[in-house]
Amino acid sequence: MAAASSFNATHEAITVRYNSVDHAYAEQRDIRLLGFVLFLISDVVIFSAFIFAYLYLRNSVPNWPPITKGGHQLPRFDVAYAAINSTILFGSGATMHSAMESWKRLDKPAFNLWLLATIVLGIAFLGGQGYEYHSAQVTWAGSTMGASFFTLTGLHGFHVFIGIIYLCVLYLQANRGVYTGSKYFGLTAGTLYWHFVDVIWVALFFLFYLW
Amino acid sequence: MAVAAHAGFIGGDTHDHIHPEPQGFIRKYVFSLDAKVIGIQYMVAAFLFFLISGLLAEVVRTQLLVPRGAILSNDTYNGVYSLHGSSMVWMVIIPLMTGAFGNFVMPLQIGARDVAFPWLNLLSFWLFPVSAVILFSSFLIGAPDAGWTEYPPISVQGPAGTSLWCIAIFLIGISSTMTGLNFMVTIVKMRAPGMTFTRMPLFVWASLATALLNMVATAALSAATAALFMERQFNVPFYDPTRGGSPLLWQHMFWFYSHPAVYIMILPGFGIVSEVFPTFARKPIFGYKMIAFSSIAIALLGFMVWAHHMFTSGMAPWLALPFMILTMVIAVPTGIKIFSWLATLWGGKIHFHPAMLFSLGFIATFTFGGITGVFLSSVPFDYDAHGTYFIVAHIHYVLFGGSVFALYSGLYYWWPKITGRMMSNTLGVWHFWLTFLAFNVTFLPMHLLGLWGMPRRVAQYQLHPEFQFWNDVASVGSYVLALSTLILIYNMVQSLLRGRRAPGNPWNARTLEWMTTSPPPYYNFRTIPAVLKNPYNFGEPLPYIGLDEAESAGSTHPPAGSSPLPAHA
Repeated sequence: MAAASSFNATHEAITVRYNSVDHAYAEQRDIRLLGFVLFLISDVVIFSAFIFAYLYLRNSVPNWPPITKGGHQLPRFDVAYAAINSTILFGSGATMHSAMESWKRLDKPAFNLWLLATIVLGIAFLGGQGYEYHSAQVTWAGSTMGASFFTLTGLHGFHVFIGIIYLCVLYLQANRGVYTGSKYFGLTAGTLYWHFVDVIWVALFFLFYLW
Repeated sequence: MAVAAHAGFIGGDTHDHIHPEPQGFIRKYVFSLDAKVIGIQYMVAAFLFFLISGLLAEVVRTQLLVPRGAILSNDTYNGVYSLHGSSMVWMVIIPLMTGAFGNFVMPLQIGARDVAFPWLNLLSFWLFPVSAVILFSSFLIGAPDAGWTEYPPISVQGPAGTSLWCIAIFLIGISSTMTGLNFMVTIVKMRAPGMTFTRMPLFVWASLATALLNMVATAALSAATAALFMERQFNVPFYDPTRGGSPLLWQHMFWFYSHPAVYIMILPGFGIVSEVFPTFARKPIFGYKMIAFSSIAIALLGFMVWAHHMFTSGMAPWLALPFMILTMVIAVPTGIKIFSWLATLWGGKIHFHPAMLFSLGFIATFTFGGITGVFLSSVPFDYDAHGTYFIVAHIHYVLFGGSVFALYSGLYYWWPKITGRMMSNTLGVWHFWLTFLAFNVTFLPMHLLGLWGMPRRVAQYQLHPEFQFWNDVASVGSYVLALSTLILIYNMVQSLLRGRRAPGNPWNARTLEWMTTSPPPYYNFRTIPAVLKNPYNFGEPLPYIGLDEAESAGSTHPPAGSSPLPAHA
């Protein structure tokens, strides 16, 4: 340990240099950001597993939509309706982006407006999906098509639902002064999450409606 | 998560990640945020489940003493071996490898005060005993009877307890994913200043590779078990072939997790023996970078070999070939490690401490199990041996002779650090030799039984009474194995009650966890040291600066302003 003492000065210098509050904030933010991104990655794996199941089941029968035991082919899902609903969700991605940009410009009224718009669009999307479920001609337990469709879109809808709650919390926090112009990790995470939900929907839209 | 998570640093006053040490019993020992306490919680709980699932194994061996089955009905027998397997994999080995040693040792080794997300860690831990209780309670309503792999359609039609199995495995899967995420962020972001990736201890490297597997692969298991649960409870067709589903789908999803899971169960073990060998051979580790990188290579290759479990399930023959070759390839990084360890021992001043004995035993038995694994990767041989006792022998050579031996080694190695007490070496040596011999007496004959055609998962073998002799040998071996565990329990109890106090660094080891008191204080290090080199250069001065020499004085409060710095500092 004798050798070590001569280095203690260096060590102290490094420690002092990095002990500022801003550095501490940046360090914590990086830790949380990485954790959040890894969380999203593991979420992607869950979706991928169910998507794999869908592809596997679809690939293991000669016709898709599958033909029931009664001999008639199940109907395809309604592309036009889903396209409208998808536009609502993608639009909410745009409003979320605007909300984030407004925050960075310190334009709080615009931020509030865009964030509320995002929440409203998210609720509208869920409502639209609820109506689609209600009027669907396939059932969850009736066929492999229904099983994969309702499981995957249901999982996605659950993510949207959680996202809406999260955005509401962010709205309240932002208006109580929790975030500042340079410290707003919660908003970053909310934006990431919302875009993630959008991107998943792109895949689902392609897989279930277009293909 | 996020809402609660960022509340802490709004004030900007979190620069040393130190929560004040809780004083109440509940916050200190039950719902603790301290990774060390959580590690001990994992250890205690998983050891309890180890004893329970070990007893289930003894019931299996007792049943097989006579060809027509000694004690159980066929149905009960199915439940017993299914729960033995499920619990040993998910409730014992994985929690011990990542939860126990990962939580206790890894943050200390990288010079951090805790893991990145202590609350998440708390949640990960408490999902574990809950899911274990759910798993074992399935006995009350009809235990799952399709083995630990729960292949449909048997598992879809299986007893009510199979649904509990799904819930338990789903929850422990979520727990594993969260631990993986937590460890990955901790290792990437919270290393002591100067600890570059190539200065990390090898156990940390192994934990990093394991965290990657935990985070990515386990999510697939959660999806698969969720689908099985939906199929059982709500009749949703995923796996039932009569309704358009596919049993092979389960096998793909299950093995996409469960093959990486065997590396989750062995990589931290590789890390443990990589710590033990240089310390007890008093030599620098041979091939530090090769050992480190081969862990990552194993983790990546581990995702590409899952279908070798399915050669006989009716997959396309052309698809079998790449999986066969990749499976053989994955033996290469493992071989690199084994030769590096042997080279570390070469010319070393070897101390036959119990930790060292178990690591040496690990090399012997794990290599044996690894070689039978290469046999099994060969498609023609697998056609012959699949579903026989040869598989049972192979899996026990890698999971008991590999993982459990490594865990024993780690237990003897870190026990003084964890408890602050020394264990008896004499008892440890007895424990090793009894375990090693009884292990081989139990599992070596199973290779023969398998090659002669004895199928696994059978409650009786009346058509082949000639199998009885070796079955009886295996059963007697398993009883001795159980007795050898009693020596360990006695050793631990007498150490806790009247063991000699452990110094901070009883083995003269060089990794960071030995640079603080035994047991370490709540905040791990008064001052976070800076790291100059990798820790294995025996014979040189310690590569740390800023270590507090008064650490052993054991002050209970960390000094103000001590900060774990980012690795690039």
